[in-house]
Amino acid sequence: MFGKGLFQGLGITFKRMVGPNITEFYPDQKPVLPTKVRSSMGLQREKCISCNMCAMACPNGVIKLTSEKDEESKKRVLKSYHMDLGRCLFCGLCTEACPTKALTVTQEYENAVYEADDMKWDMIARAERKGKEG
Amino acid sequence: MQALNNLFLIIADFIRSLFADPHSVWANLTMDVINFIIVVIIIVLAALILILLERKIAGWTSQRTGPNRLGPRGWFQTIADALKLMGKEDVTPAGADRILFKIAPMIVFSLPMMTLAVIPYGNQMAPINLDLGIFYFLAVSAISTLAFLMAGWGSNNKYSLLGGMRAVAQMISYEIPLLFSLLGVVMITQSFNLGVIVQDQHTIPFIALQPLAFVIYIIAGIAEVNRAPFDLVEADQEVVAGPFTEYTGLRWGLFFLGEYGNMTAVSALAATVFLGGWQGPFLPGWIWFWMKVGIIIFFMMWVRWTFPRIRVDHLMHLAWKVLLPLSILNIFLTGLGIYIYRLVMGG
Repeated sequence: MFGKGLFQGLGITFKRMVGPNITEFYPDQKPVLPTKVRSSMGLQREKCISCNMCAMACPNGVIKLTSEKDEESKKRVLKSYHMDLGRCLFCGLCTEACPTKALTVTQEYENAVYEADDMKWDMIARAERKGKEG
Repeated sequence: MQALNNLFLIIADFIRSLFADPHSVWANLTMDVINFIIVVIIIVLAALILILLERKIAGWTSQRTGPNRLGPRGWFQTIADALKLMGKEDVTPAGADRILFKIAPMIVFSLPMMTLAVIPYGNQMAPINLDLGIFYFLAVSAISTLAFLMAGWGSNNKYSLLGGMRAVAQMISYEIPLLFSLLGVVMITQSFNLGVIVQDQHTIPFIALQPLAFVIYIIAGIAEVNRAPFDLVEADQEVVAGPFTEYTGLRWGLFFLGEYGNMTAVSALAATVFLGGWQGPFLPGWIWFWMKVGIIIFFMMWVRWTFPRIRVDHLMHLAWKVLLPLSILNIFLTGLGIYIYRLVMGG
């Protein structure tokens, strides 16, 4: 029939109009991300054995860590752990290299900062802050 | 119920009764001023609500929510936008025809005020009860063509001029089927008076007797108020908003008010002539009237966010080769119908 397409079009838009919206109300409601998302890094200090595998696996040299030997238990203890997130690819090679799964990719995504220096993360301090927050 | 139906008439009688002579010159003048203010309020309110409704419907059709920040579910957004417009600088472009440039938006805004003044909003509630109502309505609304051309010419901008030219071509072409589609109703009622036309629809609205005319009127009406799919005049992608390109601040706001006022006027005329105006059971007449107007406005917005813009040559083709013959056919059929009716009824 001549002009049938017009009514089909009207029907489609009306269905869209009464149907559900696909908008996410981002600042008010946090979206549920797919589990594969890699958007941030997290470190569990007690699991880390300071083996430096992560730093060696990293293609961009993002990770810098130092450690010292504990005289009593004769074990190496993590002293400092810094990541330069500005150069991080979030490829996840470091977490694959980690033998104790101390380093993991996490799904926090609100990582925007105002200063370039703020992208140099002190992972130990972040882990402690996160532990305090909950 | 009856009191609610006549609410505004009762208020009007009360105001008149404050004068020593309820029908003196001063009482009439006061009532005219009040009517004028009411029409202006209708236009401003219509623009405030319709702009937001338009954005909401645009959002809903594309599965978004539309404005949702200011006020309950975003319903105060237009007020904020209007306040922002008031704070904008009023720029007149270099080389513009200053007088034409400045009066064009005022004319665009004043036309819906003049046209909405003859619409009966309820039983005996037309601000001005004109015997030549439809005639006056069409004559006045035709002037907006001139205002668009003035704006396009006065802006000293090639896109604006193109938009103005398109406005003339489009609006004059679509005026003719629009006029002819209303002629069938006038033939049936034998009156140009909108009040009489509404009275005659107390048994059946004229959309049942004149379905073809209603379809032609809606198509030509959408074209007449320059809305998509007939928005070639202000086609943003082609002529950068056409006649409005150079306008800023409140002058641009006046165009916007005028556009939505015109849309309200065209919908109000459709509701009056084809859908039975304020006639309807149970609810007060003025509520029925605005419900009918709302349905037509919703349909216009629905159409706008469904169809792409029509091509320029197809635009002319549709007006002259499709709508005009159909409207003439409708007049012929109406005449035939009236003749047969008289033969049968022995009138």
